[in-house]
Order: sequence, then structure tokens, then C-alpha cells
Amino acid sequence: MLDAFLQGLLLVLQWKALAFMLFGVALGFWVGLLPGLGGATTLALMLPFVYTMQPAEAFAFLLGMHSVVTTTGDITSILFGVPGEATTAAIILDGHAMAKKGQAGRALGAALTASLIGALIGAAALALAIPVVRPLVLTFGSPELFMLAIVGLAFIASLSAQGARGMVRGFLAGGLGLMLAMIGQDPQAGVARYTGDSLYLSQGLDLVPVLVGLFAIPEIIELVVRGTSIAGGLPSQRVSSGALEGVKDAFRHIGLTLRCSLIGTFIGIMPGLGGSVAQWLAYGHASQSAKTPAEREGFGKGDVRGVLGPGAACNSKEGGALIPTIAFGVPGSTAMAILLGAFFLLGLVPGPDMLSQHLALTFSMVWTIVIANVVTVAVCFLLLNRLAALTTVRVSLLVPVVLVLVFVGSYTANSQYADIVVTLVFGVVGWLMVRAGWARAPLVLGLVLGKIAENYLYISVDRYAAAWLGRPVVVVLLVCAVAVIAYPAIQGWRAKRAARA
Amino acid sequence: MKNIFFLVLLCVAPLAAAQPYAGKTVTIIVGYKPGGGYDATARLIAQHLPKYLPGKPTVIVQNMPGANSIIAVNHLYNIAKPDGLTLGTFNRNMPIAQLTGVKGVKFDLTKFAWVGSAASETTVLAIRTDLPYKTFEELRKAPKPVVIGATGPGANTYDFPLLLKELLGANLKIVTGYSSSADIMLAVERGEVDGRAGSWSSLLPFIERKLVRPVVRARLRESGAERLPSDESFAPNPRAKAILALRSAPEAVARPYVMPPRTPESLLRLMREAFASTLKDPAVMAQAAKAKLELNYLPGDEALQVLREVLSQPKEMVDDFGKYVKFGE
Repeated sequence: MLDAFLQGLLLVLQWKALAFMLFGVALGFWVGLLPGLGGATTLALMLPFVYTMQPAEAFAFLLGMHSVVTTTGDITSILFGVPGEATTAAIILDGHAMAKKGQAGRALGAALTASLIGALIGAAALALAIPVVRPLVLTFGSPELFMLAIVGLAFIASLSAQGARGMVRGFLAGGLGLMLAMIGQDPQAGVARYTGDSLYLSQGLDLVPVLVGLFAIPEIIELVVRGTSIAGGLPSQRVSSGALEGVKDAFRHIGLTLRCSLIGTFIGIMPGLGGSVAQWLAYGHASQSAKTPAEREGFGKGDVRGVLGPGAACNSKEGGALIPTIAFGVPGSTAMAILLGAFFLLGLVPGPDMLSQHLALTFSMVWTIVIANVVTVAVCFLLLNRLAALTTVRVSLLVPVVLVLVFVGSYTANSQYADIVVTLVFGVVGWLMVRAGWARAPLVLGLVLGKIAENYLYISVDRYAAAWLGRPVVVVLLVCAVAVIAYPAIQGWRAKRAARA
Repeated sequence: MKNIFFLVLLCVAPLAAAQPYAGKTVTIIVGYKPGGGYDATARLIAQHLPKYLPGKPTVIVQNMPGANSIIAVNHLYNIAKPDGLTLGTFNRNMPIAQLTGVKGVKFDLTKFAWVGSAASETTVLAIRTDLPYKTFEELRKAPKPVVIGATGPGANTYDFPLLLKELLGANLKIVTGYSSSADIMLAVERGEVDGRAGSWSSLLPFIERKLVRPVVRARLRESGAERLPSDESFAPNPRAKAILALRSAPEAVARPYVMPPRTPESLLRLMREAFASTLKDPAVMAQAAKAKLELNYLPGDEALQVLREVLSQPKEMVDDFGKYVKFGE
């Protein structure tokens, strides 16, 4: 085992593999920065190039590219409030709020450090999980996955605004999200729901245009109305320092960073939950770390913990997502499905063999994730202060560029004009929600988890009737869900009591 | 002087006609997002097609996903120019969409300029090797229903077992809602379901790993699957046989390639020849075998023939068929 571990490292450090990896990292860097241009599409484009490579080189190239995309996706989200990737939307809430307070440098420093720690944890989990991966993944059947979705939905309680009123609004928005997730052909009877006979909607809403509209458009409107730079006219020297402060933040809240890394890894391991869930759950968990209502109030207004959580989860999930792909030949995401194609191209059959015969190669993937992330974060830190200075650019210069990013980004989802319409409609929805003080996160959570919850509930009932409710993991997860919902209430009660005493 | 000019013109004219693709870009429109078999096949063809077209054009792939590729077919039929620079590939079940009159269909598949099909795919039903049933006959007599995982109506993971159950009396219970065939495979692995239907090529790795055993196939004989009994061989009456045959028919044209209607005959001929040469190219075949992509060339007129057969079904038959099978995936 240890032997294979070191052999894997040597495989990656061969000069050809290393060169391919660095090339992949350079490519992934830009793909991540540009919203809409997703990691999966780029992987598909690059697949023909791996025919002539050795397996270790090919995976260094593809994984190097893939594992960087989410890291740099965070940068776009923080600086402009435009989700760089569908998986990096949650970091906008506090990351961009920090940028607006002139702390872009600190936010970026925190996000990158957290994402590095996340990547390392994810890779370590992948390495450690190898002996137990099969039983672990097989424990989670449809009933357990349904309950995981319910735990996810329970986080709406933490992601809503405070007080009973905020909670009601949060769950209403979550309900709206669930309804939006129903759009499209249902998988049981094949009936088209809420499509209004439109072909565009017949397969449901695409996440990218919705997220871009919901988060980027209100920011742009606000920016134009305010008429200053993102950082509100602060001098650029102040804005672009503080990266080091962000690094320190990650270690100041190291417990949170580690916990969110583990959440990300876990979500990654579970095939069928999808990468976009990870950041939101981590954000929900991060917001629970607020000890007083006043602290809780600060989330969404630029609390660094709201940056650390999603930042860590975002990258750790990549290591986790490799596990089902390698061990079962069952990809957990589109990107992993394309990676699976690469396995075949290279004459490898994913499955139990990867954990015995080809163990060194599997470990070389772990090392690729580690090295690629270290390289990216190092490069980002060199550029960080310049990147942060972008928030001091005048509004009249910045808005056209950001608008192009927004529309090109959402158009690449399906290459249809309807993508732009969806962006604009959700832009209006997002703007109204911000104006009325409704949290947007519950809506996204409902949308992201709706389909998963519906399908796995149906399968559970159809397959096991009521017996699935008695499965031990299901019961444990149910208790977790109740705890997650009750937590803000208990917290409020405790705070009141403390105030009286 | 005039004569020389005329002479030059005489020489250049056929040259220009022989090189209609020089400096041009051919686009292959794919009705799906990147990541699936349709996309992978199109990208493989795009890589090698230029060699066989006079003038060596650039060939690019453009993904136009949505509505199980109806959007792409509508575009190819109504908007794309018939200038020989657009190729399209889409959902093999498109004839079913046209036949059953799915909303939003704005095309007549028989009017396309058919280039051919790059592959055929047969559907098989595979069940866990640790089940006591080894043949389809035993599956029909099974005392307890065998649980089959599926994605949803319109996909072969659902339609094929549904017909086996409804028309041939296999004792199956179909559980639907899995997000992808990979997802069902994992459910098979953890024993949540007992098996799944799917294309022979997609199930092959799991059959080789001895996780599942194939028991019955659809009409087409894919190499490796020819020993399996066909679904139609168990049909109790002509009606059942006809319905099974109709479901299988589009699988002979599993990777359809067309050009827009009214594409000039000369350009269609060039493209057909290039398409055939590409698919017979040993380099292409080797690459496809490595990537586990099915490749079987079917000429354009034969593809059109298959299509005409599907689309010429009488009204009663269509209604009968529509009771079981919906268009999808």
C-alpha cells in the first residue's frame, strides 16, 4: 500500500506527466475564470489528445485541468458576484460582500487557502478511503440518498434570514425552488410538467443561467445605481493588500475549514447528489458557527467564515467524486463521465482492479490533485493583489465587461437565446428578493435538491414500500435533519436566556 | 489573349468544382451536451472526415442540446442552409417522436439528405449473476418479480423491460427515477435492483466483470450478443411481435447523420463517400474500439429505408404502440 502510494508520486513527477499537468493547470485556470465555460465541456474537448499518452500522463493532464477549474471559479464569484462555475455560487454571498467592503484581497486569500486545504483533505480522503470505499458507497442506497437530500433541505433553516418571519420566507423560497426543480418531463409517467409546451423547458431548467441571473444581475443593477467601483471608491492599495490576512483567517477557523472539507468530500463520494450541492451545505454549516444573533446577522454581509466554508468544500468534493468513478466505473458527474471515457481510451477498466492491480495509478491521481492545487494556489497568490485591484475599476469600464461575461456565460449553457431570457427573468426575481430582504440561498437549495429528493423518494417507496423508513442510516439522517432545523431556534432561545441572566 | 483567358477558365472551373470544400468549415450539430456517445462519435468523425472531403475543410462539432434533441432537428430542418456545410446527428428515437406526433416536432425525417448511420446499437436486458435465473424462460416463470432499475419513459432502460413485461409476460417490477444508467448500475451493485436494460456496448464492461448476465436482446444482432435469444422469438402473437419490432427498428440507425433538406445531390454524394471512407478507415476503427464506441456504417439510402418502414405504420398500430412507448432520451 505505502509502496503504491510512493510509486504514484513518482509517476506524476516524471517530466512528461508533470509537463502535461502544468499545461492542464494553465488551461483549467482560464476555463474556471470564465463563467459558463464549464470544466466538463473542456474535458470533452481535450479527450482526443490523450489517445497517444500513457495513463499517468493522461490523468495528470485531465485531472490537473479539472481540479483547477473550481479554484479559479471562486475568483470570478468573489470579485464580480458572477458565478464562475455552477459549483461556485455559494461563495458569492459573503465573498462578494467582502469585495464590496474593500476586502477583496482578504476574501481571495481566505478562499484560496481554504480550497487548498480542501483539496488536500479530499485527496487524503481518497487515499484513506481506498480500502473501505466499496462498502462505504454501497451503504448509501436510494433511501439514504433521499434522506441526505432532506438534510440538505433542512439547511434552509440556517440559510434563511433570522427570526420566525425570516424562517417562513426561507421555507417559502425553498418551496419555490422545489417547484422550479419539477419543470420538465417527469421520470415516472413521462408527463411534461410546467413546460407550457416550450421545447426549451422540456428537460428542465439549466442551473447556470438561473444562478447567473439570480446573483449577478442584482449586483450589476446595484453597481450601476451606486455608480462607484465595486469596492466603493476605496483606494486600490488598501483593497489589494490583506491576502495574508485571509490566509490567517483560514487557520484561525481551522476547525470550520476542516469540517467543510469533509462535508465536500462526503458529498463528492455520493454519486447522484451533484457538485453544486456541496458548497451550499458547507455554507449552511458555516453559518451555524455563528454564536450570537448579531454574528449570524453578519453572514451574507461579508463574514470570512462564509467564504472559508464553501471554498473548502468546493475542492475537496473533487477528490471524493473520483471514488465512485474509480471503484465502480460509475461517474458522479458529467465531468467524471467524460473522465470515465478516458479510462476506456487508455485501455483501463474502472472497477475493483483499480484498487489492486492499478493501485499506483490510482494514487497518481491523488497526487495530481494535490500538486495541481498547490501550483494553482501559488500562482494565484502571485496574481492576487492585481486581481483584487479589479474591484477598484470604475463602474463605466467594468459593467460592460461583466455584462458580456454574464450573457456569454449563460448562453453557453445550451447555446439558445432562451438561456438569456432565463437569466433576465431570474435576474428580476433575484433583484426583487434582495430588495424585499428574502434570502436567495433557500431557493437555490430547493432547485438543486428538488429533483434528487423527488426521484429517490419515489424509488425508495416503489422498491421498499414503507420498510425503508426503518433503515438505520435513514433514522440517523432523520435525526440530523431535525437537529439542523432546530439548531437556529435553540440558538435564539439560548441567546435570549443569556441576555436575561 | 481572349483565348488564353478562356483556356485558363476552362482549367480552373473543374478544379474549383472538384474542391468545393477548400477553405470552408463543416459543422456537425449534435443534439446532446458533451459527454455522451453521440458527442464522442461525432468528435471522432470530425477528427478524420477532412481527409476524405475534397479541399480538406475544417470540421467542427457544435452541441445543440435540449428536448431530447428535437431542438437540433428542428434547426437542421428549418434553419440550417443546404450548402453542404452542415451535418447533424441526433437521438435515434426521433422517428418515434415524428410517428407519435410529439409536440414541437417541426420536421419530416424522410425529407433530410441522409448521409448514413455511424453505428447500430442493440438493447439487452441483464440481471445479476447471483440470481437463480439464467435464461429468459426462467425469468418468465420467476415466482417473485425481478426488480429492474430504469431512468424513465422513452429511454431504452424503461421501454425495453416494459414491453418484455407487458407483451411477453416476464415477471419484472420496473423501478424508475434513476438519474442515469450509471446510477442504475450502482443500484445493481448494492442489490437495490436486480438488473437493468441498456445498450449492449454500455453493459459489456459489467458483463465481462461478471456482475450481470445478459438474458435477452432486441432485434439487432450485435457482435457478441448474437447468441442471445431475441425478444421477438418469444412473442405470443403477431401484434406483440410488431410492437417489439417497431421499438427495435430505430436501433439500426443508432447514430443518424443527415444534411438539411434540399442539399444539392452532388454535395450529398461527396459527403456520403467521405462518411463511408471515414468509418471504414482502420485508424478510426482502432480509435473507436479503444474508446468502446460502437461503429457500424450504414449507407444513407438504407437508413432512409429503415425510417420509411417505421414511419409508414398504420394508425391503429401507432396508437397501440403509443400505449406503451413514449418518446424520450
